Amino acid sequence: MKHPSEEHDLIRWLDGEMNEAERTAFEERLKLDPVLAKEAEQMRALSASLRTHLPAEMKVPHADYFNTQIGVRIAQMALDDARAKQTGSSWSAALQWLRQPWFALTGAAALAVLGFFLLGPNASGASESMILSSYTPNTNVQARAYHDDAAEATVLMLDGLDAVPSEKKVSGIHVLRSEVEPELASTTMYDDQGAAVLMISRDALGNPMISPRG
Amino acid sequence: MPASASTDLGEVSDLDLVKRSQAGDTRAFDVLVTRYRGRIYAMTYHLIQNETEAWDLAQEAFIKAWRALPTFKHDAGFYTWLYRIAHNVSYDWLRKKKIQGDGEFDDERTEHRVAVGAEAAPKGDLAPDTALRNAELGQRIQEAIAKLSPEHRQVIVLREVEGLAYEEIAALIPCSLGTVMSRLFYARKKLQEQLHDVYETSL
Repeated sequence: MKHPSEEHDLIRWLDGEMNEAERTAFEERLKLDPVLAKEAEQMRALSASLRTHLPAEMKVPHADYFNTQIGVRIAQMALDDARAKQTGSSWSAALQWLRQPWFALTGAAALAVLGFFLLGPNASGASESMILSSYTPNTNVQARAYHDDAAEATVLMLDGLDAVPSEKKVSGIHVLRSEVEPELASTTMYDDQGAAVLMISRDALGNPMISPRG
Repeated sequence: MPASASTDLGEVSDLDLVKRSQAGDTRAFDVLVTRYRGRIYAMTYHLIQNETEAWDLAQEAFIKAWRALPTFKHDAGFYTWLYRIAHNVSYDWLRKKKIQGDGEFDDERTEHRVAVGAEAAPKGDLAPDTALRNAELGQRIQEAIAKLSPEHRQVIVLREVEGLAYEEIAALIPCSLGTVMSRLFYARKKLQEQLHDVYETSL
């Protein structure tokens, strides 16, 4: 079996890739060449063993976890895509709002919302978004979300927060956050004249601190 | 997604599941994953010969398929399309591994925890010694496969496991028909050399 064409003939015969005339001619050769016949038979036996012992389908270890992980990764990709596409959108602003220290002071000492947004692979709009779950550590606060078609945005509603004191007549909020130390942040609330009426920050221990002014 | 929530998707055709997946229905895609994970994992395992890596690569193939779903045109079967993705993911991994090392993988081989050959061995009342010989042969074959080069292992898996025709193999790799035949010939010769005691005594 030195010549490539002879190698190919043997392989094609073995794999059933010959036409009838080729197959008949090759089998005539096998009758006349015992060395070739032995090699052909050994290859055929090997081929049969391979097909028996290399299953085309196998049991996937931890199959449920396999699927779950794919779902999580798809959700994460969708969330990443949504973040990239909606930078500066109302949703991003809502997330930013949730992180502010003044928010903690207004009633939800610690609240986080976890939302998986599943968008289609060709997610061109938010209409295909879906909240899988939400979580609020403060059980007095309920989070719910829905898609507002008119606004083309996902709206996050938080029920159970304390209201900002009405006497403060807050009409604007300004948030400052350290670029290098995320925990260093302050929130200043302004009245309709632009005067600061309340400043919220944290002391050295991280406790909320209010500075009444104006 | 809500539309499919109350429907049993297990009997839904690939075509319908793909269409739902393309519309963003992750439950439909999950059914496709369940339907084909065993075949895709088998292919990656046979090519990689490492359970953990094969598991990861099979997952990677499904993730890539999800990402590429908008480009799926329904002119080929979903499994054929998915299989190509999984093959390319696995073969890319093998190529990188070959560049980084010397192309030998047997030292990193980890066995699939279900006994090798057990899934394919004939079911029924096999005598204990026959069953043992089957298991041992399966083990020997897996070890021999692991010692093949990525190129030779690839054609063996595509031909012997998947049953692809030469033209399909050539299109998938891609390479010429002559290369497919040469690789198949030498891959089998190398397997024969490693398993010569099995076939010398049995024939």
